[in-house]
Amino acid sequence: MSGERSTRTRIQLPYWLHGSVQTAFLLVLTLVVLAPLLIMFVATFQDGNDVIRRGLSFDVDLGSLSLDNYVMLFTDSGPYFRWFANSILLTVVQVAGTLLVSSFVAYGFAVYDFKGKTALFIAVLLLMAVPFEIMMLPLYVLVNDVGLADSYSVIVLPFLAASVTIFYFRQYFLGIPKDLLEAGRMDGATEFGIFFKIVVPVAKPAFAAMAILNGMIIWNNFLWPLLVLRSESKFTLPIGLNTLLTPHENNYELLIIGSMFSLLPVLVLFLLFQRFFVAGMTAGALKG
Amino acid sequence: MTTRRRITSLLAAGLAATLALSACGGSEDEGGPDAQGRTSIEMWVFAELHGTYYEAMAEQWNEKNPDKQIKLDVTVFPYDEMHNKLQLAVNSGKGLPDVVDIEVNKFSNFVSEDGRTPLADLSEAAEPYEDDIVQARMDLYNREGKQLGFPTHVGAQVAFYNVPLMEKAGVDYKTIKTWDDFKAAGAEYHKATGKAFGIASTDTNIVQPLIMAQLGGNLFDEDGNVTVNSPKVVEAVEMLQDMQKAGAISTIPGGSPDIEEAYGPINDGEYAAVVYPAWYTSRFVDYMPDLAGDIAIAPAPIVEGGEVATIGGGGTGTAVIDSSPDKEFAMEWLAFAKLSPEANVAVWEELGFDPVNMSVWEDEEVTHNPENKFNKYFRTNLFDVLNQVKGDIGHFESFADPNLPKVDEVFTTSTYNQIFGDGVPAKKALDQAQADLENQLE
Amino acid sequence: MVVLRRLLYSQRAAPYLFIAPFVITLLAFWMLPLARTFMLSTQEVVFGQAAFVGLDNYQRLWEDRLFWKAMFNSARYMVLTIALLIPIPLVLAALINSKIGSDRVKAVFKASMFVPALTSVVVAGIIFRLMFAETGTGLMNQIVGLVGLDPVRWLRIDTGGLIALLALAMWRWTGVNILYFLAGMQAIPEEYYEAATIDGAGRLQQFFHITLPNLKPTIVYVTTISVYGGLAMFLESFMLYRGNASPNDQGLTVIGYLYRRGIEQNDLGFASAVGVVLLVVIMAINLTFLTLSGTFKKESAR
Repeated sequence: MSGERSTRTRIQLPYWLHGSVQTAFLLVLTLVVLAPLLIMFVATFQDGNDVIRRGLSFDVDLGSLSLDNYVMLFTDSGPYFRWFANSILLTVVQVAGTLLVSSFVAYGFAVYDFKGKTALFIAVLLLMAVPFEIMMLPLYVLVNDVGLADSYSVIVLPFLAASVTIFYFRQYFLGIPKDLLEAGRMDGATEFGIFFKIVVPVAKPAFAAMAILNGMIIWNNFLWPLLVLRSESKFTLPIGLNTLLTPHENNYELLIIGSMFSLLPVLVLFLLFQRFFVAGMTAGALKG
Repeated sequence: MTTRRRITSLLAAGLAATLALSACGGSEDEGGPDAQGRTSIEMWVFAELHGTYYEAMAEQWNEKNPDKQIKLDVTVFPYDEMHNKLQLAVNSGKGLPDVVDIEVNKFSNFVSEDGRTPLADLSEAAEPYEDDIVQARMDLYNREGKQLGFPTHVGAQVAFYNVPLMEKAGVDYKTIKTWDDFKAAGAEYHKATGKAFGIASTDTNIVQPLIMAQLGGNLFDEDGNVTVNSPKVVEAVEMLQDMQKAGAISTIPGGSPDIEEAYGPINDGEYAAVVYPAWYTSRFVDYMPDLAGDIAIAPAPIVEGGEVATIGGGGTGTAVIDSSPDKEFAMEWLAFAKLSPEANVAVWEELGFDPVNMSVWEDEEVTHNPENKFNKYFRTNLFDVLNQVKGDIGHFESFADPNLPKVDEVFTTSTYNQIFGDGVPAKKALDQAQADLENQLE
Repeated sequence: MVVLRRLLYSQRAAPYLFIAPFVITLLAFWMLPLARTFMLSTQEVVFGQAAFVGLDNYQRLWEDRLFWKAMFNSARYMVLTIALLIPIPLVLAALINSKIGSDRVKAVFKASMFVPALTSVVVAGIIFRLMFAETGTGLMNQIVGLVGLDPVRWLRIDTGGLIALLALAMWRWTGVNILYFLAGMQAIPEEYYEAATIDGAGRLQQFFHITLPNLKPTIVYVTTISVYGGLAMFLESFMLYRGNASPNDQGLTVIGYLYRRGIEQNDLGFASAVGVVLLVVIMAINLTFLTLSGTFKKESAR
């Protein structure tokens, strides 16, 4: 797009060679980046205990590869698909809730003036920079005290008004012309009617980006659920996979194939909606 | 302060209300038998195999006690998660099980230094079996006269030798009696084969305390102060460091013999000797099938003129929660499930552990059963070895100290790694550990 | 009914209803735990019974070697990730942004670089743990073997563990940072470069005098999230070392120490003090950074 400006080298190579060197370089890098996943994929056809003993390795005995692990995954993987279903359920519910609540709040910040707005908005900015891990301990004590450990509600509720998501939506809503909102008021819509009927449809790209960003975070959420959840039947994928890593349980086949299989939904969605993924994962830097 | 607390509690109430809206509240068990006369007992364990064992013991109990049936509900957690969750549950007094398996290195986390504990005193329930039980193992979970847990096994430390490999190198395991013999044999083996002989474990604190106990050392003084750099402790670790320098022991992938990464090299014959607790038999049988018929069990090396021949290593103390509504019932069942002769036969036959009830050790039919998979696997009989050291199994007092968990943590993350991994002199690393611990325990 | 109706149409009440969820979250899930953290940090808690100990926990913290080690580890990780994850993606982004080379290859490259970011830390940690296995048969040791070196006990030595952690961070984040920089570069008007070319500036000069200054907001942003992410790193280490304990505590981070003292050792008071200190440090760094880069000025000008 914008010129050969940044790639001039001191050695003057013929133009076509220059391009091929770059192409070759990028291809090699692509291979290096994908290698860990490829080699782990190969390991799904190997004996799990052996992989743990020897480590992931290029040196694969082709004769030892088998589909046993895949058979095991689909016939005898214990609670694995339960965890999978839990993860999907939790991700869908939490993403939907977060988008609704956070966009709602963001709208409040973007279009109205009210007492205490500045202070509250600074709170949003500051919360973006506070690691949740600091809150985790007292919050856990609190959750335990009120007897609410092991429930999904304590996983979801604290994150519905997510500061990063609020910030992003607010920036987006600031760009919506006020005339549009006034027109809605003229037509007799309530303030909430305006939000749902006028603002939400206009902001679809923002919702898509935030759905991806939050979806990724929630699908991979680990520490908080690890602390809160107690019953195996409620575990999510990351929590369940982590339990397979302990030396006492010894189900390394499921650990390896289960890890790889857990990437599948995200990869499929990525191939389908690549553009939204890029927008979502890099959302923060759009407007500073 | 008071107003602030009031505000805090108001907010807490608000949070509780918010959360309660969508929470599925667990129904609290009020204790006593249900309509079918069965008493519900909730139990937490950290190893799948233990869970299976307890379920079998519940069945046996129900056959014997038709009038007071147990309905056992076992939950298996990963090791760390189970102990972490138990601690937080103990703090809030909510969401506790009735019975729980606690690993020996974590046990002291559940008794405060001034003796407060959420665990029930099991002394009375233990009485019928007391005479047959290895006292040293009961002492592990005894705090100021209160029996807070029942042991699972003796875990007497023994030596496992790979006989064919040693024969090929011209070393006879039967000549190894003391650590000096062990060192000499190891050095010779290493010279002949170029391979490692024994294991310098960096991630577990099991063999080191054996030598400390043999020398009569202790990790704490009489007032309970940490003394991890006291002369005998230093001497014990220096002995191991010398063995490492002589080539008799080497570090192992995974950091200790009892981990998947280590089973591979041992199975492949990269190491020829493992000094570890008797329960390691099950690891050989389950994870190192290639060595069937090769391994001889022998008494652990001793220190000449030492205090004891061997001590137990590792272990799980099973405790009853004091606030459990079914406390009395749980204690009675647990005594049966852990101390009775029936239970101890099962501990050997199912789990391959050396049982704490010594009446089993003398039951030839059980111990020398030729069909037993452990007896089939090893060249020598475990119980022959155990009976040899029977009167000489010591109790390492430090294992019952309230501060053991912290010492264990420092040893297994830092100290042993520095000594055996980085070659830091034992004294220096232990001085460092002493300084760290003094600050932590201040 | 009338009241509700008036409420729904009222422009005065509406904002408060809109932001109510945030206020509730702020109070219940941030302010309350935060107050609790401050309170706990002055207490010693044994089996749920708390005793006031003043600043004891902070004093112990100050003298605690492991706390400083954890701080050092976190800071080192933060500095090194910034040192690696800004220049390298920047150069790669420039490469992609250039006219040379096949667009199709570039598209494949961009997409591939992004795939690791889709991999959860749990799965990525498991993969890297196995790649950095200390046996001679592990992938990294095979590579080291090609050069003719002996197997390295990767995760058992400080440098080895650090390399593994940094490799994991680079693997997961290079692609995302490339996209950030690419977006920034494509927003720079073409005319700037044309003018520079007329003035006779070379390509390298253009990069340093036009591209870099114009990317400043992006670089500031990426640095800010890297400071935060670096200091708060925990899970990467937790997965790589299969738990919170690592040889010589070489993988111990501040959050890891908080987790150890609070969750594993049940010393809630001390752990809370660790949390308070970390909070203060992160806040101080971020506020300084945001003030220096003028972000606040921009916000209040809106």
